[in-house]
Amino acid sequence: MSFFPSAAWLKDLDERHLLFTERLEDPLAFEGGQFHFSAKDNLCARDFQARAGSLVLKGYRPPFDATPIKRLRENGGLLLGKTNMDEFGFGSFSTNSAYGIPRNPFDIERCCGGSSGGAAAAACLIPDHLALGVSTGGSISCPSSFCGVVGLTPTYGRVSRWGLIDYGNSLDKVGLISRTVRDIEQYLPVMAGPDPRDPTSLVQPALDLRGEVRTIGVPAEARTGLSPEVAGAFEEALRELQRTGIKVREVRMPSLRFAISTYYILATSEASTNLARYCGMRFGAMNEEFDQGFNDFFSDTRSRDFGTEAKRRILLGTFSRMVGFRNKYYVKALQVRKQIIGEYQKVMEDCDVVLTPTMPFVAPRFDEIEMMRPLEMYQADYLTCPPNLTGMPHLSMPCGYAHSMPIGMQAVAPHWKEGTLLSLARSWEGIFHYRFPEVAE
Amino acid sequence: MRIGLEIHVQLPTRSKLFCGCSTGGDGPNSMVCPVCLGFPGSRPFLNRKALEMGILITKFLNCKITDRVWFSRKTYFYPDLPKNFQITQYESALGFDGHFMVGEKRIGIWRVHIEEDPGRIKRVGRAGEEVSLIDYNRSGVPLVEIVTAPDLSSPAEARDFLTDLIIELRRLIGVSGEDQTMRVDANISVGEDRVEIKNITGLKNVEKGLKSEVTRQTKLLAVGKRIVRETRHYDESRGVTLPGREKEQEADYGYIGEPDLGTYLIGPLAVSMVVPETPLVRANRMQKEHGIGAQAARQIVLTDWELADLFESLSRRVGGETAMSWTMGPISSGWKVLKANADGAWEKVTDIVMAVSEGRMSDSEGRLRIVALSGGQEIEETNNGPSTDLDSLIVRLVDQHPEVVKDFNKGNEKAANFLIGLVMKETKGQFASKVIAEKMKKELGKRV
Amino acid sequence: MDKETVLKVARVARLKLTDEELERFAADLEDILTAFSVLDEAPGAEDFDLGPIKVEDVLRDDEVTTNADASELREVMGTKDDWVRGPRLS
Repeated sequence: MSFFPSAAWLKDLDERHLLFTERLEDPLAFEGGQFHFSAKDNLCARDFQARAGSLVLKGYRPPFDATPIKRLRENGGLLLGKTNMDEFGFGSFSTNSAYGIPRNPFDIERCCGGSSGGAAAAACLIPDHLALGVSTGGSISCPSSFCGVVGLTPTYGRVSRWGLIDYGNSLDKVGLISRTVRDIEQYLPVMAGPDPRDPTSLVQPALDLRGEVRTIGVPAEARTGLSPEVAGAFEEALRELQRTGIKVREVRMPSLRFAISTYYILATSEASTNLARYCGMRFGAMNEEFDQGFNDFFSDTRSRDFGTEAKRRILLGTFSRMVGFRNKYYVKALQVRKQIIGEYQKVMEDCDVVLTPTMPFVAPRFDEIEMMRPLEMYQADYLTCPPNLTGMPHLSMPCGYAHSMPIGMQAVAPHWKEGTLLSLARSWEGIFHYRFPEVAE
Repeated sequence: MRIGLEIHVQLPTRSKLFCGCSTGGDGPNSMVCPVCLGFPGSRPFLNRKALEMGILITKFLNCKITDRVWFSRKTYFYPDLPKNFQITQYESALGFDGHFMVGEKRIGIWRVHIEEDPGRIKRVGRAGEEVSLIDYNRSGVPLVEIVTAPDLSSPAEARDFLTDLIIELRRLIGVSGEDQTMRVDANISVGEDRVEIKNITGLKNVEKGLKSEVTRQTKLLAVGKRIVRETRHYDESRGVTLPGREKEQEADYGYIGEPDLGTYLIGPLAVSMVVPETPLVRANRMQKEHGIGAQAARQIVLTDWELADLFESLSRRVGGETAMSWTMGPISSGWKVLKANADGAWEKVTDIVMAVSEGRMSDSEGRLRIVALSGGQEIEETNNGPSTDLDSLIVRLVDQHPEVVKDFNKGNEKAANFLIGLVMKETKGQFASKVIAEKMKKELGKRV
Repeated sequence: MDKETVLKVARVARLKLTDEELERFAADLEDILTAFSVLDEAPGAEDFDLGPIKVEDVLRDDEVTTNADASELREVMGTKDDWVRGPRLS
């Protein structure tokens, strides 16, 4: 029988790990829910606030539901609450939140990863739970890896983004995080499919959950810069996979070294325009001081309510598309993205998936994060950025543990081939046993 | 003097450019939705009809069509712009390098594209301290933007250009031509330096605004001052242009593509589109084809489209001049009724004109019959034979002048002229001289 | 990425920065953009797409579809006689 959290149990858990920015008090009071799920706080649902981790959306109650949430609810899903995240998705550790920093299920001194930190932690701690996350540069894979759960980032355009508070329109994807791939297989078809409210969701071919992995490609570039624990766990996982008869071949992907810069330039360029609407008018934190010039009016709210990382990315993005710099940064990044996609497609002519570790280290401690410079944090995404740039579906699953901290590996499949990833995850679950922390009931 | 215009015209679609809200007006903020309000999580979806209208206009203006177009975000901060960026077309206009004829003068068209309209701001409060109230009904309404080369050489010419453009667009896609639906930015240089006047609403204000700016620049130049290159706006109430608003400062639009909309391959669609004949193009053709004056052609076409149809059909039978005089005379006076073509009114009118032209009916009788038709009454034709008046007169005169008969039949055609003149004097211009001449010569020829 | 440039960018983005923020962001962006200049080594190309998958000719019929409640939206925005309030224009 599937697990349903009681009010007391959930409250306890939430206080310890700060999973939710807002949640139901008593889930058991709601009848008819066949399964429970949570949604990252940048997904809109009428009965909760949608603040995307930012003060600039304080008090905002959306007047419509995000399509993925709507579809899950129509199929028996009970939305337990909205999970904590980095402001607007800006971060890899969920430390850039105005509403609570989630703590790792395995060690509360460590982060959950980001930006879907609360989601991954919820998926890990609450049995039989589906957590919706959103990935722009790796925000499903990273926390899934740090929290020891399975995270699927579907193909860009597979799941409607109607009701998703935008970070980067050409990069955002709504995805699923859970303890087991079985849940993901069950609910992906419910969420996916064309939605007339999101034009980019209308070009997808039918979803096929079947697939097979016979050959795995491992880029040489992904074998450097790893902590010894991650390197060790990954190589062991490769050996396990080979023992099942899968072929592993090393490939060269020289354009991967451009992935971080390409990603951050495109993502922040788009984000800096998406965030222009937050100006103290119409929704969210409203400015009542109308008796001042409009530029000052706008600057007031934005300067006060955007967090540091949000400001940093707005500046970076605004600069990248300014006259005089636009060609060198924004336009160049568009060209390079296309080249990276081409390189992946070439490699995939000879293998079914590309496999790498998900993150170069286990979940860092909060005090370690405080010492990191912004550039350092960006560069930690070098394994998750590339597939996110290409829009190809990718899946992170646990492949090892170091001092009880989970280590993840990430498989990337060609566009629209979610089935290939799911089949690999299925076989892997048969080989490798996932551990979850004991939570007192 | 050089004047260039950036013209924004609202496209008459049912729904907005990027969402299904109605473009019709009603109470403030009643035709709105999350998309045109820029709520977080909303996204645009392009209106097919708006794109087609844009392409049709582009083709009509003789532009080269861009094969692959997409949309861009133009980011700037203003209360009437819900997303604080406008979705427009920056890098890929629908077409470029076209032209539009104003009379005989060719005005270059640099580019044509479509974009969304912002909302409408109302200023309230004391002057200089106004706060704003915004109605977003207009936000998201589709606009076509047409940018001309600086080929216009006077405010009057600019006015003529806009007048003619609206006439053509009204027929092409059905724009209302109302003042509210057209906004113009003008670039004008009397001397070397160019000044931009932004956001002039309606045709009359464009001419007034340009005239007042010409005056301003001319005065400055006359006393040896330099014209500052700047952005100004036209103050309707004061009738002058004033220096620009803060809005134009610190705007680096930072254009990026709009990924939610993707790209559009409009080449094949543009090729397959047939540009229908528009009023002024038609007038131009009619002038050449039917040998009538430019003003006359324009007048007929602008009076009524079907009136022009009738004119052309008559002209092919009786010639341009004659058809013109009938069309702009009794036919157009009674056009309200005749237009409906009830009971085959057009055929009857045509018959009447033909009958007069062939001398079977007098001119005055013809006019009376047409007036009667347009009054809804019909007069029975008294006989279908030749007109008695003219024929019997000719017979009588030929009888009275046998010497002319003799002269004529010796081969001297000109001998008939004397009698033709008599007939014309006698009938006081009721009949066409050509008709009289033909009948006279025929009768003379019978008397061998 | 000097302070003057950062200030200009901040103005364009309608952000008022404190001295401390200005100092810090100037250093961060200098760091980041130097690292990102690796992009210069990537080959140039004429070709680019706006997104990772082909989204082409996606169009909507010109129909009025009202599936939003305007009065609810007005309530969210806070209106005065149904007009949305905004700041001074001058």
